[in-house]
Amino acid sequence: MDVALDSLKFIDLTTSSIIFLFIVGFIGGLVSGFIGSGGAFVLTPGMMSLGVPGTVAVASNMCHKFPKALVGAIKRFRYGQVDIKLGLVLAASAGVGVQVGIKLQNMILSAWGQAGSNLYVSVSFVAVLVIVGSYVFYDAMKSSKNTGADVTPALALKLQKINLWPMIHFKTANLRISLWFTLPVGFATGMLAATIAVGGFIGVPGMIYVLGVGGLCASASELVIAFAMGLGGTINWAMHGMVDIRLTLIILAGSLLGVQLGAIGTTLVREVMIKIVMGSIMLIVAVSRALAMPKYLVQLGLMDMGAETVAVLDKVSFLIMCAALTLGAVIILGAMFKARKAMARQQQEAFGQA
Amino acid sequence: MAKEVTKKQALIRMIGFGAASAVVYAAAFQHADAFADLCSRGGAYAAMPIATVFLVSYVHGGFASNLWSALGITAKAPVKTAQATQTKRPEVRATLNA
Repeated sequence: MDVALDSLKFIDLTTSSIIFLFIVGFIGGLVSGFIGSGGAFVLTPGMMSLGVPGTVAVASNMCHKFPKALVGAIKRFRYGQVDIKLGLVLAASAGVGVQVGIKLQNMILSAWGQAGSNLYVSVSFVAVLVIVGSYVFYDAMKSSKNTGADVTPALALKLQKINLWPMIHFKTANLRISLWFTLPVGFATGMLAATIAVGGFIGVPGMIYVLGVGGLCASASELVIAFAMGLGGTINWAMHGMVDIRLTLIILAGSLLGVQLGAIGTTLVREVMIKIVMGSIMLIVAVSRALAMPKYLVQLGLMDMGAETVAVLDKVSFLIMCAALTLGAVIILGAMFKARKAMARQQQEAFGQA
Repeated sequence: MAKEVTKKQALIRMIGFGAASAVVYAAAFQHADAFADLCSRGGAYAAMPIATVFLVSYVHGGFASNLWSALGITAKAPVKTAQATQTKRPEVRATLNA
């Protein structure tokens, strides 16, 4: 059965593009399984660099995101790390955040055009990632020097003490907090998801530092939010016929392998590794997006720069973004390898003593 | 914690899920263009890509999970804290010392 596909919407798949999507899918899955999010920020521009139109890239990426999050959430639920109630409560307010985020994007688009919208996305990327990423990284380094165990942050402790109806008890997260304090965290997660497609960069730190959830449980519960938001978004995009199922299936082939490996990794390494990986990725991605900003400033007439320099900066920005994801994967695999080696040594010593 | 499976069990399951996954992928890519066209018609056809990724996440997810288990890459069992064993108290019986 030969059907001519709309060449404006669907690209011709080559061996190199299939391999590229599979590998990025695997690495993105590995990082998502470990820190609860990630991969999307490389996959969308990655697909666009292959010639996929922006909307199809976003839709196809989202269509792979929610089944990946589902598989990762099931795996980590089996390890006792997922708080489903927490994930669903945050997903509900995240849904509202997504709608507000989309409305804001549309307002900016109609006021300043595509370049203005892209600039807004890049500024949000840099601002959020530098502020939140620096704090996550600083906290990770601090805890790494100590025991490496999670200590409930002072802000979260204060909020947990405020008895504001309705109070909710989250069993797996092992905390009791007012619903009102969960709302801004979920809302900000949704807003960021609608803006930069990676809500987890605010969702996971929000759960850790505002609500007082442990790093393991926060990154695992983020997968529930990603599933709920991804499914909702996919239904919307698929109804508009924007999903290229071929791209989705290729990425999914790699990411389902990666997400399970990442989930296994969380049981092998110290909890602080989640913060280290997340902080490192966020700071490198911030550098990447900062390098992409001159392009949009030139398009808006706010900056003067040669076309060649802009093209070079654009390429360097994409390469740094790929490097961020790769570094995250290397840290995870390295930590897993070290942990397994230490376990094998312990077993050998125990065997020798017996 | 998930129920542990032996490497042999994981290998058998991996082959089963792997075969099912290969069938699904072969079916989808045999007529990739027609399938992509069908999935992008919008409206009620939106159910097609969503049902497909759910199916793939089950079969390919099952394959991936068992692949790592068969390779010996498994989760670390949680450290079991020693529970204080309760020693059975001798049953107190009313005795009559006559």
